[in-house]
Amino acid sequence: MIASDIRQGLRTGMLLAIVVVFLFLIGATSTLADILAGALKLGRAVSLQTVLALLALWLGSQAAKVSIEEKRPRWINTLLRAAVAGLSAGLVIGLTTLVFLRLHESGINLRTYLYQLSPDSLDLWSLGRSAEGAAVFHFLLPLVGCLLGAVLARGFREAPWRSATGRRVGALRESITRPLASAARTRWGRILLYAALGAVLILLPLRLNNYWNFTLGTVGIYVLMGLGLNIVVGLAGLLDLGYVVFFAVGSYTIGLLTAPTPHHLMWDFWIVLPIAIFLAAIIGVLLGVPVLRLRGDYLAIVTLGFGEIIRVLLKAEALSSFSNGPRGIPSIGQPAFFGLPFNSSADFMYMIIFSVLLVIFLTNRLQNSRVGRAWIAIREDETVARAMGINTLTSKLLAFGIGAAFAGLGGVLFASRSQFTGPDDFNLMVSINVLAVVIVGGMGSIPGVIAGAFVLKGLPEVLRELDAYRILSFGALLVAMMVLRPEGLIPSTRRRLEMQQARAAVSPPATPVSPPGPGGTA
Amino acid sequence: MPESAAPARIRKRITPYQIAQIVIGLGFLAFVAWRLYEVLVVEHTYGPDTWLKFAISGLIVGSVYALITIGYTLVYAILRMINFAHSEVFMVGAFAGFFVFEALKSLPVGTGGHPFIEVYPIPSIILGFAAGIVTSMVTGVALERIAYRPLRGAPRLVPLISAVGASIFLQNAAQLMFGPQRRTFVNLPALDRNLGWTLTVGGKPVLITYTGVFTFILAIVLLVSLYLIVQRTRLGRAMRAVSENKQTAALMGIDVDSVISQTFAISGVLAGAAGVMWGIHYGQIHAYVGFIPGIKAFTAAVLGGIGNIPGAMLGAMTLGLIESLGPGGLGMDFQLKDVIAFSILVLVLIFRPSGILGEVLSEEKL
Repeated sequence: MIASDIRQGLRTGMLLAIVVVFLFLIGATSTLADILAGALKLGRAVSLQTVLALLALWLGSQAAKVSIEEKRPRWINTLLRAAVAGLSAGLVIGLTTLVFLRLHESGINLRTYLYQLSPDSLDLWSLGRSAEGAAVFHFLLPLVGCLLGAVLARGFREAPWRSATGRRVGALRESITRPLASAARTRWGRILLYAALGAVLILLPLRLNNYWNFTLGTVGIYVLMGLGLNIVVGLAGLLDLGYVVFFAVGSYTIGLLTAPTPHHLMWDFWIVLPIAIFLAAIIGVLLGVPVLRLRGDYLAIVTLGFGEIIRVLLKAEALSSFSNGPRGIPSIGQPAFFGLPFNSSADFMYMIIFSVLLVIFLTNRLQNSRVGRAWIAIREDETVARAMGINTLTSKLLAFGIGAAFAGLGGVLFASRSQFTGPDDFNLMVSINVLAVVIVGGMGSIPGVIAGAFVLKGLPEVLRELDAYRILSFGALLVAMMVLRPEGLIPSTRRRLEMQQARAAVSPPATPVSPPGPGGTA
Repeated sequence: MPESAAPARIRKRITPYQIAQIVIGLGFLAFVAWRLYEVLVVEHTYGPDTWLKFAISGLIVGSVYALITIGYTLVYAILRMINFAHSEVFMVGAFAGFFVFEALKSLPVGTGGHPFIEVYPIPSIILGFAAGIVTSMVTGVALERIAYRPLRGAPRLVPLISAVGASIFLQNAAQLMFGPQRRTFVNLPALDRNLGWTLTVGGKPVLITYTGVFTFILAIVLLVSLYLIVQRTRLGRAMRAVSENKQTAALMGIDVDSVISQTFAISGVLAGAAGVMWGIHYGQIHAYVGFIPGIKAFTAAVLGGIGNIPGAMLGAMTLGLIESLGPGGLGMDFQLKDVIAFSILVLVLIFRPSGILGEVLSEEKL
């Protein structure tokens, strides 16, 4: 019992230490402290202490977590765990602090090696103390935090009033949401809902200023691309990491055909729009042919390669007479309605809203069509799908083509809105962003993709200070979603059931029975 | 071959796909023949010394690719998944070596106060490699524990996405920690990257650098020892058993989780060594240094037959030679060498998805 307590405490402590040291090394502790200082009008040192204390409290409450087999551990066990966690974390963090601050005091510029350790952030970390004083402080903070967190968590869990309050809050929530949900289910309720939504969508672009129209427009373009990739990844189960190719095809088609510089064609926007979408779809099918017969993993790498190739090709000087090379294409044509220019941010917002609605409608119809069911069957089990008489190659190509067409549309809107496109708009991060939108929102779910786009593209606009950590957190988010909630924020019903089944099948630990004699294992 | 396995087949129809295959293949061959004729016969762009230089650099880069490729192939053979974050395991090793060499450079030794790296050149190299290898090994094992192990048994897409996420996370963490600038590796006193033996070919000198020879020999040594581990030791036998069938292996008393961890450790060792070699030979590293070698190594794994160890080595060497000889041979811009490598990948997938040495695998394995 004691040994297992110590082991669990050590694990929690190491987790806390790694998280804190890592956040320190990437400079996130200073940034978080600055945000808190700005929001609560506190001093920076106090804010840093608050951030660290909150982390320690949270991990302490984790240390007090009860596993299923032990019904109710004694208080002493909980405290032991928390103490071990706090001590081990404190030791690591304190020692790290001591080493870095000593180096800093001896005049070595740490910044040449560890980029975020500027003198400013080190001074903040030392909290105005000497290296030893700061080390002691950073040793004590996790210890106290963990103990306090464990006591609070345990006390809160076992408090007598807790279950009653929980029930009351649940009942209150129920009494509000249920009538609303049932009202929304009636015919008039639904009409009212759609009318309200429509009114908001029509009025919103007029009420917003340019900046917000632009930002929400970007979110809308990501919704478009997310819905396209959703067909490929979410419905057909094909991991495409080069989705940016089709975005680039859309952008460059509109660029080359409407802009004056490399070719002087200057066609009309409305003529080029369908051409661009069609071309993106064709390219999607062509790229799909060699790889779609193979298993998904190959597809991921090959599409990743295509995504890099298109950037290299667009950038290459050798082809610059065709694509204008690294300089990109300026003054791309914008749409007009019967001679009237239609090119303010609000106008583009309307176009994006219209496109999103159209794509939602199409996706919805496709999902429930014969093709959509074929995609889902392929995703579930390709061999069985083929045995059921589905032409898997054609269905996959169709998914690829339709997904590409949506991205092409997104590319056209993107390039025309900013009137410029260049090879650097199309790096791997675009593909990863769109993938994250689909995965975080929920594979195969339309509301999920919309929510994902708002969370991943809209939220960073609000939290500008955290911009440097955006891609980093996308990566962490992808892993965390897969481990904790693979079905996404707003999963489709089918997907949720599947994932729950898969988890139920895995959850009894699949470790082998230990062999009876010595020398059985490798 | 599936054709011979089904003698009862009565008539063979040529599918549109096969027609497309033939057309693409003939077009490709015609293009290569035309360009080779232009470059070799008509224009005489390069002399024999230049070709030798290309071939040498191809062998060196191929041997680094081979070490990374093994990582992909081992993990693929056992888990049937592509370890996308493997290129970051490589990058982490390169950074660990860089920091150790930097520390040794500024560490004074003895009474004269000469830096450690000049007083003890050979131990410094060993220390640098040890740091890179250990860091990469730990990263690989931790990666498996955190990002892949909880997902065992989940649908196939799930670990793949997790791997992509881990890769992005590691790249950006490295960039945030170590900064966006390129780092120049210490030019080791024992292995100066500008010195070497000089051959005279066709009246012109061809430099064979010490670092290049060192990289090549070390890679071969590591690859041979890996092959012996897999073929001769108890762990290797366990790895092959797990690769065949996890459940049965578990019934035979093999601790599957531990074998998988050790596989990731071995892949990490090779990737770490490759990372330090990369730094010593090419001299520059940055947070995204693993990306292109990673994709190339995957290409090499597919080229040689994924899951097949000799195939991985052969594929990596072939790819290294193709990408260094290719742009010259086809008379193209050297910026386009990545494009050539990827075109190879696509062609292999069209014509022989099982690779050069790969057996024809069942649908489940492919």
